[in-house]
Amino acid sequence: MIRTAWMYPDTLYLHGERGTVMALERMAAAMGAEMKTDKIDLGAGYFDPMDYEILFYGPGEIPSFEAVIKEISAYRERLREFVESGRVLLVTGSSVGMFCRSVGLFGDGKAADGSRRISGLGLIPADALEREYVFGDDELIDAVYNGRQMELLGNQIQMLDIYTDESEGFGSFGRVRYGRGNNGVDGSEGMICKNSVFTNMTGPLLVGNPWLTEEMIRCAAEASGIKLPQNESAAPDRDHDLEKKSLELKKAFIKEKAAHGE
Amino acid sequence: MRFIPALMTGKAAGFAAGLIDKNRGTNLAGKAAMKIDAEMLSHFKGIDPKKVLFITGTNGKSTTNNMINHLLRSKGFRVVSNIEGANLITGIATALIKASTASGRVDADYYVFETDERYLYRIREQLPAANLLITNLQKDQVQRNGDPSYISRKIAKVINDFGFRLFLNADEPRSASFAPMAEDTVFYGVEKNSLSFTKDESFVTMPCPKCHHRIVFDYYNNDGLGSYHCANCGYSRTEPDYKVKDADFDAGTFRIGETDFSMHHRLPYMLYNYASAVAVCKELAGMSEAECAEALRDFRNVGGRVDSIDYNGQHINYMRFKQENPETLQNFINMIADDPKEKVVVIGFGTVNEFDPHYLNSFYAFDCDYSGLIGSNVSKYIFVTDTIAYDAANSFIYGGVDPDKVEILPTGDEEEILRAITSTGCDNVYLTIELHRFEKMKAFAEKGGVL
Repeated sequence: MIRTAWMYPDTLYLHGERGTVMALERMAAAMGAEMKTDKIDLGAGYFDPMDYEILFYGPGEIPSFEAVIKEISAYRERLREFVESGRVLLVTGSSVGMFCRSVGLFGDGKAADGSRRISGLGLIPADALEREYVFGDDELIDAVYNGRQMELLGNQIQMLDIYTDESEGFGSFGRVRYGRGNNGVDGSEGMICKNSVFTNMTGPLLVGNPWLTEEMIRCAAEASGIKLPQNESAAPDRDHDLEKKSLELKKAFIKEKAAHGE
Repeated sequence: MRFIPALMTGKAAGFAAGLIDKNRGTNLAGKAAMKIDAEMLSHFKGIDPKKVLFITGTNGKSTTNNMINHLLRSKGFRVVSNIEGANLITGIATALIKASTASGRVDADYYVFETDERYLYRIREQLPAANLLITNLQKDQVQRNGDPSYISRKIAKVINDFGFRLFLNADEPRSASFAPMAEDTVFYGVEKNSLSFTKDESFVTMPCPKCHHRIVFDYYNNDGLGSYHCANCGYSRTEPDYKVKDADFDAGTFRIGETDFSMHHRLPYMLYNYASAVAVCKELAGMSEAECAEALRDFRNVGGRVDSIDYNGQHINYMRFKQENPETLQNFINMIADDPKEKVVVIGFGTVNEFDPHYLNSFYAFDCDYSGLIGSNVSKYIFVTDTIAYDAANSFIYGGVDPDKVEILPTGDEEEILRAITSTGCDNVYLTIELHRFEKMKAFAEKGGVL
């Protein structure tokens, strides 16, 4: 059985992330794997990431950051082991900022860039800076996950920009074809280390991109020695017809607005 | 020095706009005037801040403004208001330009202004006001607001810097949490009623505004509104000073205090508008509950979210929802679920195009509970629009809708959509789609258009 932990869902939940959890469950079932999802509440007490194959942290409100960082700090080293083990950690939207080395928040004007810096978890070699204005748009990227080349389409509701160093085994998760990515400057989107992904894309990311969902299930199964049925890729409901049509419709829209300079 | 030329320019622009179309120009006069005097709101004379009310929040601002205006005017009070709905600073300037003398003096009993949440600070900087009503703070316009805390922090700064008597929705955790920031707070709310509901464990709620842990809703009267408590710090709903109780949606009645009210708009979210309007009119203007009840008998909300089309023997119930706003979509779903008759449901999520860049967002659909739809005799779902019809359909399928009942029509062509509705032969249709598309469909039907 694949065990998934949906981390702090009542605190880290902004843009329909419930869909991503549902997508994992549906895909696991379609691939012939059993999955059990636990919701882990903030303040629930002892938590060991290694009890799970998939961890999901959705985006949260910036005022919640310090409380969540404090909570995660208690098992930070086990989280690093989790990433190193090849299991699947998925962090989306603003919560990527909490996993950076530092987060610059506007308010107190203590740093040179006008922000108050708080320490992040330091799990990824990056720093985050709160944006003065929210940036929302579609995002289309090229990415490779579990050796599979794929295009991913989603939304960015960017509260923080991310400035990354590709080091410590971390690289960019994708290259931006349309959208802002980490910071609107270097064309990078998110970060990846082994099978763990930190992405600015938010919302029900795994609903609209079932090809990524499939690979995440495969990685989670492999990391835990769970054997998927041999014919799992031929199972019904795996043609992703609806999602492929949606992708084409949305790509046409993006192409048109890009042509108009948006 | 610039005020009088600005005022004259504004009056001239307003007059010209009125000649062209009386329904337009709700902020045109203010726009023209504020190009000359950017601080002009602060230069009007005769306005007593104690008589000024700002109405802000995510949902219900316009309806609440309409209702308060209706009540105050029924008592003979003179009210200056941006009742036409232009809620930016230029809309408020337009209302004051229209109501003022040539010297900029305004003489009214009350000043009631709907204010955009993001521009509240700028408006208050120029126009002193002692009263602030917050309807609710929910997810909305995420492309520019990000999350509710973004707006909440902005409103908190306005309250901190200027001070207000607050009218707060006791049933909404975020806005209710402002209470300690004010010396005087009036709470309004709604008691549990026959349409109150709970959600199962697969739905999450929101972080506590005090400690960021989980808020538990004992019941909802509307999505995001109800009786709640924090599982960690104990923050909980305050008993409202003004509460709607004994709501009977079949009879169209409710009570506030010991007074019976009738409601024309028998929708759960309207109860909050009734409660807040009565609270304001009693506290601000000294109106009794009985006077409010009498005046509300003939209140009809102009420009509300509900409308209909009758075409080819089919009754099409329309409800407008705000894109990026799950609460209004949930209201539409609940309205359908409350109708046991066989029906066809037509869903048209569109491109989010209020701001640049235009973009495609349907993720708020995953915040909604579709379980009421499943057993409510829907024979077919038609998903339309040329950008995210497939995504919309997928979110309903994830919500439990039978894929075999789903038709996807990736078009925004209004006649094509009407044709698809006609082909179902069902005389009971529920439609939600962007307002401009609905208006075209309605105009086509009213002209007796033939497909």
